[in-house]
Amino acid sequence: MREKVVENRPYGLMPRNGQASSRPCFDDPREFNKENGVSRLRVRLNRLELANPVLVASGTFGYAREMQAFIRFDRLGGIIPKTITPQPRAGNPTPRTVETASGMLNSIGLDNDGLDAFLSKHLEYLLSLGTSVIANVAGKNRDEFVQMAERLGKVPGIAALELNISCPNVAHGVDFGTNAKLAAEVVAGVRGACDLPVIAKLTPNVTSIVEIAQAAADGGADAVSVINTIQGMAVDWRRRKPVLGAGFGGLSGPAIKPVALRMVFQVARAVRIPIIGVGGIQTVEDVMEFLVAGASAVQIGTANFYNPSGAEHLVGQLDALLEREGVADVNEVIGTLRFPDGTGCLR
Amino acid sequence: MARDTWRMRVECAEMARQIVPGQFFMVRIPGLSDPLLGRPFALYDIYERDGVPAGIDFGYLVVGKMTSRLSQLRVGDRVELWGPLGNGFPVPEARRLMLIAGGIGQTPFLAVAREALGRRHYGSPQRAVPRSLESVSLCYGVRSSAYQAGVDEFRSVPGLELKLATDDGSNGHRGFVTDLLRGAIESDAPPDAVYCCGPEPMMHAAARLCASHSIACWLSLESPMACGFGACFSCVTKVATPDGWDYRRTCVEGPVFRADQLALGEH
Ligand SMILES: Cc1cc2nc3c(=O)[nH]c(=O)nc-3n(C[C@H](O)[C@H](O)[C@H](O)COP(=O)(O)OP(=O)(O)OC[C@H]3O[C@@H](n4cnc5c(N)ncnc54)[C@H](O)[C@@H]3O)c2cc1C
Ligand SMILES: Cc1cc2nc3c(=O)[nH]c(=O)nc-3n(C[C@H](O)[C@H](O)[C@H](O)COP(=O)(O)O)c2cc1C
Ligand code: FES
Repeated sequence: MREKVVENRPYGLMPRNGQASSRPCFDDPREFNKENGVSRLRVRLNRLELANPVLVASGTFGYAREMQAFIRFDRLGGIIPKTITPQPRAGNPTPRTVETASGMLNSIGLDNDGLDAFLSKHLEYLLSLGTSVIANVAGKNRDEFVQMAERLGKVPGIAALELNISCPNVAHGVDFGTNAKLAAEVVAGVRGACDLPVIAKLTPNVTSIVEIAQAAADGGADAVSVINTIQGMAVDWRRRKPVLGAGFGGLSGPAIKPVALRMVFQVARAVRIPIIGVGGIQTVEDVMEFLVAGASAVQIGTANFYNPSGAEHLVGQLDALLEREGVADVNEVIGTLRFPDGTGCLR
Repeated sequence: MARDTWRMRVECAEMARQIVPGQFFMVRIPGLSDPLLGRPFALYDIYERDGVPAGIDFGYLVVGKMTSRLSQLRVGDRVELWGPLGNGFPVPEARRLMLIAGGIGQTPFLAVAREALGRRHYGSPQRAVPRSLESVSLCYGVRSSAYQAGVDEFRSVPGLELKLATDDGSNGHRGFVTDLLRGAIESDAPPDAVYCCGPEPMMHAAARLCASHSIACWLSLESPMACGFGACFSCVTKVATPDGWDYRRTCVEGPVFRADQLALGEH
């Protein structure tokens, strides 16, 4: 019998009833200093104020309950739960994910139990976690977005709405995100329907993301999230079939970071709107790159799947890094990138 | 353990103390972004040091990126793992328990057999096994004898009856492992509970056989997973509901399901 002995570095333990028994163990020596952190890391995106710039991305953090054994929620800048649709959706056929080089494709298809179930089953728990909760919604048309905004706007405690006008995995779901006029209309409709700060989450699957970001700004968005997944495909050549049950999927993970950075900078250079950078972020270096390129905050997505306490560590690491660099306030580094042609972010 | 089949031992006392047969954990190689995500593996068995759980063993077949990387690790290397995850096989309450394994799907059954036969206890608090069991048998089918892994270990469990099958007849029954199940069902001492793990067509065949003889049957599903803890909704399977079926996450509601809970015919 061939046998190997290796050691592990546990992230934490999740017993079979799903409740946390022991705290996940952290071997990160840089403990987050809450008092320093709060003042140094606080950011403002128009009407949305966050304790720190590290958020967790929609669809990669479940409804937070799933993560409780791994992470201290109150350290995060905020949580964005899975996209909510007005009615329950079964989602796409399996396989729904496949790993690709340094990334993954997904075609989950907005599998969720609908707005009523979100309000009755998940919201109270989310609001008890001591961090900002940003509800992410998707509708088939402008009216569905507006109706959801009206209902969520009446719930005390929600910090903001993120409009998923960019999901590549549902038919018709992508129209708002690829058509500037529709994007502006949806954002304006939602702004009119509630008092919550509004974030438009943009798709990279367009010719000019700047144009869509401008439209979202014109519609009254407080911020834009850049980017959702990049449409892609995996092929099983032996069976002459796509690997994913839905055929196409959205690419995420470290593989997309350069594309996300490019788009964050392009938007930051052209549109006066705070940006939340998303795409392939794993390390504190990645976070700094996005901040410098013009993002006022970031979202951690795919990394939550393989490093479920990582987002929390990033907050402490960011604080420590800024201190080492002699930066008293994170806002000093946001948008400081200078492009070779002399242009920079509009700040 | 056999052709392309390896066993890995990981030091992790806390996990070893908690895990029960049929549960799984995710394994990843630190610092790599290709392979990026963790991969699910079932508990093969725990091992003890000085009479207390010290770590876990898992058995794996090399099929792709992560498993070939794992087979190149050396003693003392580090892996990241998180778990225990999911629901294991239930404590057997049957009189005659039959385990049906296809290929690398055999991995949960050494621990299942040891627990059922009172040779080892699992979980924290430890699960108690009722003494109603009269027999435990394992039917283990593989492509050909080169892939038969851990047979000596199965033989070393006192009281475990082992029946082998190979597709090419190179060792044991020539044909499908489900032939052995059919034979047992038609014998004068049929099983009254069946636990099954292996390729989907084999599990479906076993579930149909059991259903037509009203024998309780559990399946351990092998769904592609990205997180293992319920966050990504990759791993869904169709579970029967009063008005048809609904997708449920295999990693939190499974991987072990009662066959009659699943909407197996739905594609
Ligand atoms: C609960 C559970 C328990 C499990 N327990 C065990 C266990 O105990 N032992 C064990 O060996 N396995 C077990 N598995 C299966 C194991 O997780 C997989 O074999 C493992 O993830 C493979 O990883 P890999 O990186 O080596 O393969 P990958 O490279 O991820 O490939 C996996 C399979 O998919 C195919 N594939 C991947 N990408 C493509 C593509 N683009 N096109 C076509 N085909 C593709 C590959 O050919 C291969 O067959 C378990 C699975 C589950 C869900
Ligand atoms: C499995 C999976 C599910 C996702 N689901 C959603 C979703 O429901 N709504 C949404 O707005 N974005 C969703 N996303 C996109 C992420 O929020 C994020 O924008 C994208 O993955 C890029 O970031 P990353 O590379 O850090 O993962 C999903 C991503 C993945 C990988
Ligand atoms: S593997 Fe992520 S939800 Fe099951």
